[in-house]
Amino acid sequence: MSLPESMSRIVIVGTKSRMDEAIEAFYSVKALHLIDHTTGADGLSIGTPKASNSKASERLLKVKAMEKELGINKHTDSAKVTIEDVKSQISSDGVENIEGEILSVLDKRNDLNQRITELNSKKKNLELLVAIPVELELYSGYKSITSIVGSISEDPTEALKAVANSESFISYKKKEGGVVAVFVKSTDRDAVAAILADYGFVEISVPEGTGSVADNLHITEESIAALTAQLESVEKEIEVLRIKHKTFLRATDEQLSIEIEKGEVPLRIAVSDYSYMLDAWVPTKKVEFVKTELESKLGNDVYVEFEETRGRNLHEEEEAEERFKTVPTKQNNGAITKEFEYARSLVSIPKYQEIDPAVLIMIFLPLFFGFMIGDCGYAIPFIILGAYGLKVTHHKDWRAIATVLFFGGIWSFVFGFFFFGEALGMHFITGPEVILVNAGGTSVTWEYLLGVHFPDWFSGILPYGHGIGKLDQVSMLLKLSVYVGIVHLLIGYVCGFINKRTQHNTKVAFFEKGGWIISFIGMVIFCYALTQVMISKQDFSGITLNLFIIGLILLIVGIIVNWKTEKAQAIMELPGIVGNILSYTRLAAIGMSKAGMALAFNYIVFGMIIPYTAAGPDWSAIAFVILGILMFAFLHLVIWTLGILSAGLHALRLQYVELMTKFFDGNGVLFNPLKVKREKTISVNKEITNKEV
Amino acid sequence: MAADIGTGLIAIGAGLAVGLTGLGAGMAEKDVGAAAVGAITEDQTLFGKAMIFMVLPETIVIFGLVIAIMAIFVM
Repeated sequence: MSLPESMSRIVIVGTKSRMDEAIEAFYSVKALHLIDHTTGADGLSIGTPKASNSKASERLLKVKAMEKELGINKHTDSAKVTIEDVKSQISSDGVENIEGEILSVLDKRNDLNQRITELNSKKKNLELLVAIPVELELYSGYKSITSIVGSISEDPTEALKAVANSESFISYKKKEGGVVAVFVKSTDRDAVAAILADYGFVEISVPEGTGSVADNLHITEESIAALTAQLESVEKEIEVLRIKHKTFLRATDEQLSIEIEKGEVPLRIAVSDYSYMLDAWVPTKKVEFVKTELESKLGNDVYVEFEETRGRNLHEEEEAEERFKTVPTKQNNGAITKEFEYARSLVSIPKYQEIDPAVLIMIFLPLFFGFMIGDCGYAIPFIILGAYGLKVTHHKDWRAIATVLFFGGIWSFVFGFFFFGEALGMHFITGPEVILVNAGGTSVTWEYLLGVHFPDWFSGILPYGHGIGKLDQVSMLLKLSVYVGIVHLLIGYVCGFINKRTQHNTKVAFFEKGGWIISFIGMVIFCYALTQVMISKQDFSGITLNLFIIGLILLIVGIIVNWKTEKAQAIMELPGIVGNILSYTRLAAIGMSKAGMALAFNYIVFGMIIPYTAAGPDWSAIAFVILGILMFAFLHLVIWTLGILSAGLHALRLQYVELMTKFFDGNGVLFNPLKVKREKTISVNKEITNKEV
Repeated sequence: MAADIGTGLIAIGAGLAVGLTGLGAGMAEKDVGAAAVGAITEDQTLFGKAMIFMVLPETIVIFGLVIAIMAIFVM
């Protein structure tokens, strides 16, 4: 079965003077999963970052800041540059040179933005004051009089009459609120403010200036317009800068990030005065390659020693030194299974010592999805959408969805065509018991719609001559789902057994998982006998009785075997087996729910909207036909969309909950070799890039 | 469709068995689900565990389903 790839541990020792070169070489083999060095027992401490790192970090910070201000991000489309170009530009102070240029424009923009904001708030105040016939210079400049100006939400006219020696100007409209300006003796200021507070008063500062408010407002508006025009031209300048520098900035960003990452490698390895030493996991089949590659690049200045190839048995892990205990998981899957790794990784990464469930997910997820949809009409858009998705998208979430849609669509077509014999919720063949809409029933078939009779060989290949009716053969579909569930669960139990066997030995596997397999089979036989008696009303004798007894014995044997490891759980978990099996009835139930909706929608369209005669649908009533077809398309789109959600999620859930809990532990560490991903910077001599392992 | 009252009562009983257990499971899953989503937001690696806890209450509705099947086929 599909265990993660076998891993070996190696030690690399080399001379410190050529460490930078060595780090480049480590990155070029793309197969070294570094084991972080912990200062301690061997007396070696970790190294220090490369000297050039601090300068590079400083530059990267500047580049990132400029990118942010210019609105350049990883989605920005920019050209590729050669590594040598970028390097020479960086070392000749390219970053510092454009920084001045970009910052001066950005400062201009910020300055303009600030001035516009200030003017806008002044304009807002002036707009309020325009209703009051007082010139701006009259608001201030008195010795003993003070002015209180602000907006109000209720009319304070009556209340202000009570204030002696005051002059107030009020402009108030019932719904919009208003503005008030009160001139009082400086000593009365607090009293007036207290009165106004009850009327929703918010003080505004009167802008400085002379002349009428309207004139000032006009001037302010003009300056805002002028500044906005300036801002626009600055924005254009920025856009020009963005286009001019985006390629350089993206490439520099990438190059500097890579340089910094490489420069920090000494922090993870042991470094002494004259040498460095590191431990790493390497895929077993790559050990020789890594060794020859490093030796050819570094000659006598490096020494690679093979330490161990880690087996799958857990006792090896227990005996290992603490930091060598966990082996990284490098998944060993084919091209199609890889697409399902994402669905599996939502739960966890498999451990080094256990089966990767991605293979099982690859087989069963599309199968279950297809069975639940089970309709040619919905299958074709699924296949097209899935294929298109796989072609255009590179994001792993979308790829995972597209893969399920594509393969699920194919299964759905197979089931829809050969098993259910239907498309868009309608059977192809009119069966003998079907009551069509024009005969007072609710059914619609393709034969009826198209007014044709499909050849006999076609009905010959379908079960019952017309395919399984999702709403007719319910108990048959339920039984089928349960059988599928039994097989699926049994695979899960067997995988659990294999896992335990690889991790320990057959004896442990038998006591931990073997008992469950026996209990499970016993439960299945026991329940089968029980349903034969209770549901099919067979006599409790002969085969049924024998099965009943065999089932019971197996159950008891299973419990006894389990007792050693599970104690009382061995009994308490038994109903769970029934629950797990019955959980698969959702396979039939979801198919039925879609069939029910499709039946209703088809009846609405062909039984209620489009008129019909005894011979079939009457296509001559154009208006009704068009309305009917539009409704038909819309309603089936609804079912189709719901299909993605319900069928997709439930198919996934059966893998996660029913299957994977039987054997999957997870909590592995992903194999993460030293390598860099270049998107914007390319090497001049492309041949030297190694193929990714 | 002619059916006697007994059949109707069985159908109602089966419907109630699935419907009420469905409600029960829903109420239980509501709480678990809310907590699970919160936990996953904090730590992505909890997804597997959260998923298991999330579906535990479904056992209730499966018992309801068993009763419904028995009501329809056995009685």
